[in-house]
Amino acid sequence: MDNPRGLGRMLEEVAKKQKKRQAMLFGNREVSYRELDENANKVANGLQSLGIRSGDRVALMLPNIPDFVYAFFGIQKLGAVAVPFNTMYKGREIIHILNDCEARAIITMTNFANLINEIQEDVPSLEHIILTGQRTMVFVSPDSTVNVQMVVDKDTFASGDDAFRVVGALLIDTLKTFGVEAWYKHRGGIRCGGKKIATVLVSEVENLLVINCLAFLGPLKTEDFFRVVWVSPEIKDKVMEPMTSVEEQTGTRPSVAQFKDALLPLLQSTLGISAEEGQLKRDELFGYEKTRALADKE
Amino acid sequence: MADTWRLIFNPDGDAADMLAYASALVEGRIAGKYMLSTEKLPNTIVIQGARQKGILAGADVDINKETARRYDIRVANYPRSGRGGPKPVGTVNLSDVLKTSSRKFNAVDTDPDAPAVLLYTSGTTGRPKGVTLTHRNFAQQCDNVSKVLPLDQSDTIVLVLPLFHVYGLSNGLISGIFFGTRMTLVPQYSPAMLLEAIEQTKATVLIAVPTMYMHLLQIARTRKTSIPKSLRLCVSGGAPLALNTLREFEQAFQTRIAEGYGLTETTSSVCLNKSGEAFKPGSIGPAAEGVQMRVVDDNGSEVADGQEGEIVIKSAVVTPGYWNNPEATEETIKDGWLHTGDLGYRDEDGFFFITDRKKDLIIRGGFNISPREIEELLFTHPKVQDAAVIAVQDKRDREAVKAFVVLQEGQEATEREILDYCSQNLADYKVPKFVEFRDSLPKSATGKILRKELREGYRDDRLLDKVSGDNKEQHNG
Repeated sequence: MDNPRGLGRMLEEVAKKQKKRQAMLFGNREVSYRELDENANKVANGLQSLGIRSGDRVALMLPNIPDFVYAFFGIQKLGAVAVPFNTMYKGREIIHILNDCEARAIITMTNFANLINEIQEDVPSLEHIILTGQRTMVFVSPDSTVNVQMVVDKDTFASGDDAFRVVGALLIDTLKTFGVEAWYKHRGGIRCGGKKIATVLVSEVENLLVINCLAFLGPLKTEDFFRVVWVSPEIKDKVMEPMTSVEEQTGTRPSVAQFKDALLPLLQSTLGISAEEGQLKRDELFGYEKTRALADKE
Repeated sequence: MADTWRLIFNPDGDAADMLAYASALVEGRIAGKYMLSTEKLPNTIVIQGARQKGILAGADVDINKETARRYDIRVANYPRSGRGGPKPVGTVNLSDVLKTSSRKFNAVDTDPDAPAVLLYTSGTTGRPKGVTLTHRNFAQQCDNVSKVLPLDQSDTIVLVLPLFHVYGLSNGLISGIFFGTRMTLVPQYSPAMLLEAIEQTKATVLIAVPTMYMHLLQIARTRKTSIPKSLRLCVSGGAPLALNTLREFEQAFQTRIAEGYGLTETTSSVCLNKSGEAFKPGSIGPAAEGVQMRVVDDNGSEVADGQEGEIVIKSAVVTPGYWNNPEATEETIKDGWLHTGDLGYRDEDGFFFITDRKKDLIIRGGFNISPREIEELLFTHPKVQDAAVIAVQDKRDREAVKAFVVLQEGQEATEREILDYCSQNLADYKVPKFVEFRDSLPKSATGKILRKELREGYRDDRLLDKVSGDNKEQHNG
């Protein structure tokens, strides 16, 4: 093997020989070799337009889905270096890898956006976060969680980062009224010690920001959830990030109403926003019912 | 900033409400923007609790609906959205990239010795190291496979092992493409999903780890009639597969299992013990074509057949080194020979046997104690399901043997009981000084026990620290 072809060329040649044959089966989806090759080309073109060049490192934090394969071979066709790593890695593990290889981009699942947002500041080389797929898992429980959502005009905040900061500070102040000393350095994760006590995710659509927060008032007992979502026993404690809650920090669990009563005055005093209780309007109710129906679809 | 927001307080909501409120509010506002609605809708904050346990699940998450009902857990599915829903700020959507980019691209000509992939592996100590694998490494691996276990276009190969691991990536995905096979992707391993994937796609090749074969066999035992028989070939690696599991699996699925051995540093497999051919129980097989394998002593000199030493490998599948880490590279690759850190021997027929990891050896009173030997004894105890043995420091700062034991479900045992069993079967100096019972043992993606995490002072790297400097270059205690 004096001069073997590269991995990108390998796919190209195999695909050319058997364009119509099936390359991948994924659930009910079938992907032909032609389609696989073209999607890899699209990734290569897309990465190139983001400024990724031959030799650059591109991290992959993806499970076994077709997008992994497109991304992997797209990177190869570009002559860049793929850095796939364990999807269960968290925090410092990810920071270490991304810094060690000086990754310029990461392609990962939408549900990992929070994890990566939180560490982006610690990885100076990381310019692009590319998201795909929908494998989010959020656990809610009467004993544990409170969910705060905001749907507001984009110009409510100076920038997405500003929204992360302001809402993060709001949650920290709210937690403080219950005696919890939390901190927030990075986007997305509010922590006590090293553990997570709340999360913030800021998304955008058209002229709106959609901000979604989850805070843990009491300990989240995950056993029941793992009966429903199959996770092999050895990795259970790795699927979840280490978490804590107001109750674990202070001995008392506030109710959702108490959380609201603590948050609203802070919204007023720090942001000058008063909140008037209301309901969904007629036009909104239609969308509400539609989404609930879709959410129930098996 | 607007002065008054609308508050929607929903203390007794559920998982579906978390989806429904946000999307209702977004849709209402967007309708307003395009004047599809006359109502002016305000900025809104929703504060909600849950009246029952719930899971908000992405479209690709595998949920057991029946169990959810039994435990009164409300499952709400994210709609599978191809259209532009909310996107986290500062990110790019891969689907947008795919939609807007050209489908034509000529692969660049790469230097065969340029890195193609970096794979990070955890050693026994310290932070994960990046193993550099080149285009040549993968080309050679495909060439080796084509001689030992050729696949072809008519094969359907199951990709259930994570593709971020060398075994799934190199022997699964890249071999799969090299031979032009059809590949079945399993995104989330569960025994039932794997069996279903084999069944539905009439898979002919399975590449998996011992725990998966054990799980599949457990299902097969309870449903004797409908076991898929399409597998012509199975490969097991990552950890040793018990001989009785291998035999029973072959019988039930009417297939053959070849046991492989390899490392991230060797682009996965370097030898194969093929059941049905020149097979030797407990062996990892002879070195593959294109691979030189030797057993050497501490001075690097080859030892006689049957004698234990470290296994070293020379081949074009061997990594050029660790990324950014010349010290680790020099320590591991000497004169072109990769030092695997695995102890073993070669028999007179050229078959290799692994006995232990060099770094896991426990040294007490001048004696070498093999953790694996003690673990294998513990496995034979009827109440023991899993076990791991490591060295800990005793009061006088000597190495002492500590056993971690996971009991079979529903079983109870005392430390005394376990120690007595060891005393009856082991030399005194090998009997553990400490026994700790655990619910499970930390394992890697391929089922290897992570001894590092059992050691005292193990630092949980999933935690984030407040001080950013700490995130840079601190190593495990």
